[in-house]
Amino acid sequence: MGARGLTDLTEREVGLFPEDEHLVPLETGRSRRLGGWSGRRAWLVALVVAVTWALWSAGVGRRELVNPGGWTLLSRFWKAAVHPELSGDFLRTTWSATWTTIAFAVLGTALSVVIGCIGGVLTSETWWRRSRPRRAGAAAGVRPGWFVGRVLSGLPRGVHEAVWGLFLVNVLGRDPMVGVLAIAIPFGAITAKVYAELIDESAQGPYDALRAAGAGRLGALAYAVFPRTLGDLVSYAFYRLECSLRSAVILGMIGAGGLGFQLSLSFQSLRYGEMWTLIYALVAVSAAADLWGAALRRRGTPGLVRRSAVAGAVLVTAGVVHLGPDVGRLVSGRTRSLLAEFARDAWPPSLPGGGWTELGRQTLDTVQMSLLAIALASTLAILVAFVAARGGRTRPRRLVAAGARLLLLVTRAIPPPVWALLVLFVLFPGPLPGAVALGIYNFGILGRLTAEVVENLDPRPEAALRALGAGGAQAFAYGVVPVAFARFAAYSLYRWEVAVRETVVVGVVGAGGLGRLLEQQRAAFDFNGMLGTVFALIAVSLVVDGISAWARRSLR
Amino acid sequence: MTAAVVSLRGVGVVYGAHPALDAVDLDVAPGQRVALVGPSGAGKTTVLNLCTGTVAPATGSVSVLGCDVGRATAPELRALRRRVGTVYQQLHLVGPLRVVHNVNAGRLGSWSTSKSLRSLLRPVEVDTARRALEEVGIADKLHERTDRLSGGEQQRVALARVLVQQPDLILADEPVASLDPARAGEVMHLLGAAAEHGRTLLVSLHDFDLARRRCDRVVGLRAGRVVFDLPAGDVTADMGTELYRIGT
Repeated sequence: MGARGLTDLTEREVGLFPEDEHLVPLETGRSRRLGGWSGRRAWLVALVVAVTWALWSAGVGRRELVNPGGWTLLSRFWKAAVHPELSGDFLRTTWSATWTTIAFAVLGTALSVVIGCIGGVLTSETWWRRSRPRRAGAAAGVRPGWFVGRVLSGLPRGVHEAVWGLFLVNVLGRDPMVGVLAIAIPFGAITAKVYAELIDESAQGPYDALRAAGAGRLGALAYAVFPRTLGDLVSYAFYRLECSLRSAVILGMIGAGGLGFQLSLSFQSLRYGEMWTLIYALVAVSAAADLWGAALRRRGTPGLVRRSAVAGAVLVTAGVVHLGPDVGRLVSGRTRSLLAEFARDAWPPSLPGGGWTELGRQTLDTVQMSLLAIALASTLAILVAFVAARGGRTRPRRLVAAGARLLLLVTRAIPPPVWALLVLFVLFPGPLPGAVALGIYNFGILGRLTAEVVENLDPRPEAALRALGAGGAQAFAYGVVPVAFARFAAYSLYRWEVAVRETVVVGVVGAGGLGRLLEQQRAAFDFNGMLGTVFALIAVSLVVDGISAWARRSLR
Repeated sequence: MTAAVVSLRGVGVVYGAHPALDAVDLDVAPGQRVALVGPSGAGKTTVLNLCTGTVAPATGSVSVLGCDVGRATAPELRALRRRVGTVYQQLHLVGPLRVVHNVNAGRLGSWSTSKSLRSLLRPVEVDTARRALEEVGIADKLHERTDRLSGGEQQRVALARVLVQQPDLILADEPVASLDPARAGEVMHLLGAAAEHGRTLLVSLHDFDLARRRCDRVVGLRAGRVVFDLPAGDVTADMGTELYRIGT
């Protein structure tokens, strides 16, 4: 137990942890043949080819992309940053919307932690491990129940919160529970996966000892495992809360209410001053969650964990009071009939107008959008990571670092659909504006992850090079870049997986790809088409996950 | 007598409020092999860090290879560091780099920046690196990733890095602390071989017996002070027991 970095948590989520270390000896043979670098070179060439292809398809250098008329609107938006709307009425609206967003995030996180605890136990190897071999000589194995649990928990993760939100709006209507459930379902599945790993990791010894002494499974977990994993679980829950806040804003934009909803209303009426009031509220809330989570991870003292758990409970209560969710509605006859109707309407899935060609074209658009987004985000993040990292030696250096971190905070606090709407001022619709919007947003997230990588780098190899007379640039190139590169690449690939799913939320505002298709089908009440598109989304996410995992393994 | 390679005059070093070295005088002549022995926290590593200028003396003066480390300008310090090679206990190699680059890193002090960067793309002076690896017995690992090697092999990479650097002074900080006796003897042998051709060796050791057998001179440190400074032949086992005694 103890303090964990943000990068530790995300690593756990993507499986960057060296769980398949047994693969390494097998791979050394191959890597010797390929050469460590030629494997990397192959990936680098593939990346350059893919990005060039995506740029070409997006029309860069081939057609008019920039809409010169949009610059005045965009500059008017930025100028409004110093004139936020501060009338009493609007401040009250902002206040209430802020609490709605917080309530979505807090309740969604709380529910996903509950799901995560139950699901985590049920999908852990520890739970399913046979306490004794069935017959003499046979190793204690894992039961098939474990496998089924893992597969089931993988499915909800494949779909972005916004898609869950669109589905739930159809069944529950404009209900505050849409925001909560759309977060809780996919995040619950992720939390379950992470918690299962925490359980399996936290010393089998004590658990086995209690089991051997005759304790039941739940009793042994309660005494031997829960106390050891509680700190990590709380700190993961707070990391999830940071993610939930961002999701809650996005869900607001598709109609669930809160800051996201107000943002889209203000945008539609071009009231930029109002938008900035809302954005400042967003930044403040995100900063508070970030700082709290960071404090918890850096100094995970039992006292702080306890205070955080109490504060969490208070926030949950406040959230319930603020939203006043009608849980009975979940199981009401009306909901059930709407669900049945939706299922009848949506099944079987169908192709969009234009058939496979259209679906294939939109799928390719989605992949290209995500590639360009991550290429942009990674480039910017690598440039900023070394500037934004904490631990600068001089005062000006620390000030610049704080400024860079503030920039990262603002870019990730503004949700991708808002970035997309802003970019659409100056770029004609298509995959490019979506890519730019996702790129800016992911830059905020990736920059923070890479800055933390830099903070956690072992400084000693570089110091050793300085001590034998190497200059600053040389020591950096030999002692820092090779170590940081592998980690940066791993995080870029991780964000690529997420970005493919996120293309939906910029697509919804018209930026292109499967998300726009989904929105068009929704507007036309083409539920069969929507289901088909969602399947295409899941398929493309799985393919990207596969490529990303393959690349990560060979880059390690 | 020729000028000393290392000369400490009344040197005191303080970390925060904690004194690490207190009025230490030490002269090391060219070609000598000197062992620093003493319990953890005695100041052995601090003496070595003074020699590369990574730690500055609070009082007194440190002169290494004719350079006054406390007053040296940045270029002077770099010129000095080029001539001082170090083997660390934790090695401090760059794991994801191939062995050839970790060995070549020993040349960074002499190479221009552009040459260093070019070498990362296409290694230069590979023959020198290979010869150094041959000397330590792992020439076949030239193109392996360093973090895929065993601990013993990585230790040899660190030695090869010092070999290609061709320093006048070799520092080694507990180079055998985590090795079994046979491997410890071998590493000390390789260090001794590296320090031939008139090079000077300054090595911190926990193993009192190894210090007596492999070095010309043994310096005992305790609580930041020099307790004894004798030719290896004059050091007795009792001195070691006294040096490592718990309590005051």
